[in-house]
Amino acid sequence: MVALTIYLPFALSGYYSLTKWNGIARDPEFIGLANFVELFRGGDAFLRALLFTAEYTAVSMVALNVLALAIAVALAKELKTRSVLRSLFFVPYILSMTIVGFIWQFIFSKGFESLFRITGFSFLNLSWLGDVRLVFYSVVAVGVWQAVGFYIVLYIAGLQSIPAEVLEAAVVDGASGPTKFLRVTLPMLSSSVVTCVLLSMINSLKVFDTILALTKGGPAGSTYSATLEIYREAFQNNNYGLGSAKSLVFFAIVLLLTLVVLGLFRRKEDEA
Amino acid sequence: MSGSPRRGRAGLVALEATMIVAALLYVYPIFLMFMNSLKPFGEVVSDVIALPKAATLQNYADVVKRMSYFQLFLNNVVITTIGVTGIVALSSLAAYILDRRRTRYAKFAYLAIIAPMLIPFQTFMITLLKVMTVSHLAGSTWGLGIQYWGFGVPMAVFIYFNFMNTIPRELDESAIIDGASTFRCFRSIIFPMLKTITTTVVVLDVMWIWNDFLLPLLMVNGRPETKTLVLSAYTFVGQFNTQWHYAMTAMVLTVLPSILIFIALQRNIVQGVVAGAIKG
Repeated sequence: MVALTIYLPFALSGYYSLTKWNGIARDPEFIGLANFVELFRGGDAFLRALLFTAEYTAVSMVALNVLALAIAVALAKELKTRSVLRSLFFVPYILSMTIVGFIWQFIFSKGFESLFRITGFSFLNLSWLGDVRLVFYSVVAVGVWQAVGFYIVLYIAGLQSIPAEVLEAAVVDGASGPTKFLRVTLPMLSSSVVTCVLLSMINSLKVFDTILALTKGGPAGSTYSATLEIYREAFQNNNYGLGSAKSLVFFAIVLLLTLVVLGLFRRKEDEA
Repeated sequence: MSGSPRRGRAGLVALEATMIVAALLYVYPIFLMFMNSLKPFGEVVSDVIALPKAATLQNYADVVKRMSYFQLFLNNVVITTIGVTGIVALSSLAAYILDRRRTRYAKFAYLAIIAPMLIPFQTFMITLLKVMTVSHLAGSTWGLGIQYWGFGVPMAVFIYFNFMNTIPRELDESAIIDGASTFRCFRSIIFPMLKTITTTVVVLDVMWIWNDFLLPLLMVNGRPETKTLVLSAYTFVGQFNTQWHYAMTAMVLTVLPSILIFIALQRNIVQGVVAGAIKG
């Protein structure tokens, strides 16, 4: 059957990855759980990468959803230019993430330099990609810049599916702008919120291309995401075994987080 | 009411103005990239923000030659076409069969097909490279295109499957009574009815495959003849890191096809993405 012929190669690759956790470079040698032991004991870099990914994901999720919702609310109004505006915000999303990384590398290094000369704003003169603390915000900002258009479009679709009568009824009942938004719009938007939060979490966890193009994990290894770390371990250090072990741990974390978040939402829905 | 109609309208105008400024600032980086690709090296270095004194296409001529752009473009087209055609054909047929056969086996097969959506690519890329090298799918454009079948099918089947039950079974039955085979019935009756959902799948997968970076990096980075646009831009920009005028041009050339297609098909793309995300 067709289903099987498609499924087979996929399952095979999945199967190999799950079992060959101890193959080292060319000559696989069975070393049992040693990789996992090393990972948790000496794997300083990996824990650091996991921590970075966690922070990145948390900040990106909040920034993406708040920004996207705010812009979506504005663009769902009767603006004359709204369709053009929606397209403009969507453009970065269709670009390759690698190129997005490069564009911003250029802006952070050259663009800010020129802007500083014109405006004299001192924040433009900071080393946004060279400073260990600042670089975190740069990376998050670029990620948000690239993806926010996607979530805007999703929230607009959600906003448009709210029947106008409900909002009018709220106004008649004396609800002011903010109350109307919090009590009527937001609850009716809950399915969009769930979708967006979940998608933004999964996508942020997997961040790779933008960081590789923007900082290559630097400065001083401060922006290694979990996926970038797996890539480095396997293909640059040629530790396939250790890399596989890291990737399995990463998979477990992603799966767990997804299930937890889904579970939380489901419980909320039951309560409501 | 929080304000008179007139105040409401003034507020709307203010909001519109704010949003326009915000949107322009938002796409300004892209504009900068275009602008600097038209400048000679000296002007890029001295002032990034100034408009080019005399716009020149010289960078484009140079970069097209150095990147062997047309070869790369062709590679991208080949990979994307093979990938998307395969995904659409296999997934729509699979979803159809899985939906119509309500056996326990079909249900299990369906779950098994969509489950990989939850597995991040990076967790199995290491062994994937080995498997693909053994099966000779690594190192060629068509091989890479075929690999995308495996990665694209789970989500595509999921999207198709959810849509399939809106198509009444009576249609198949009458076609079969008229003497059509299952496949014939699928091809001439069911598949045309899936048009809207096929658009979604095509849009999502074209955008994904065209811009994908990591899989090509692993599979076809070895020889210049098999590289993709994004991949080549990555090495090219890395090489010409200080020669920003070339770097900018290479980047523009890489994203230009996406931007043009987006302008032409905006509505379909946005709708397709929304439909895909809500279903997925």
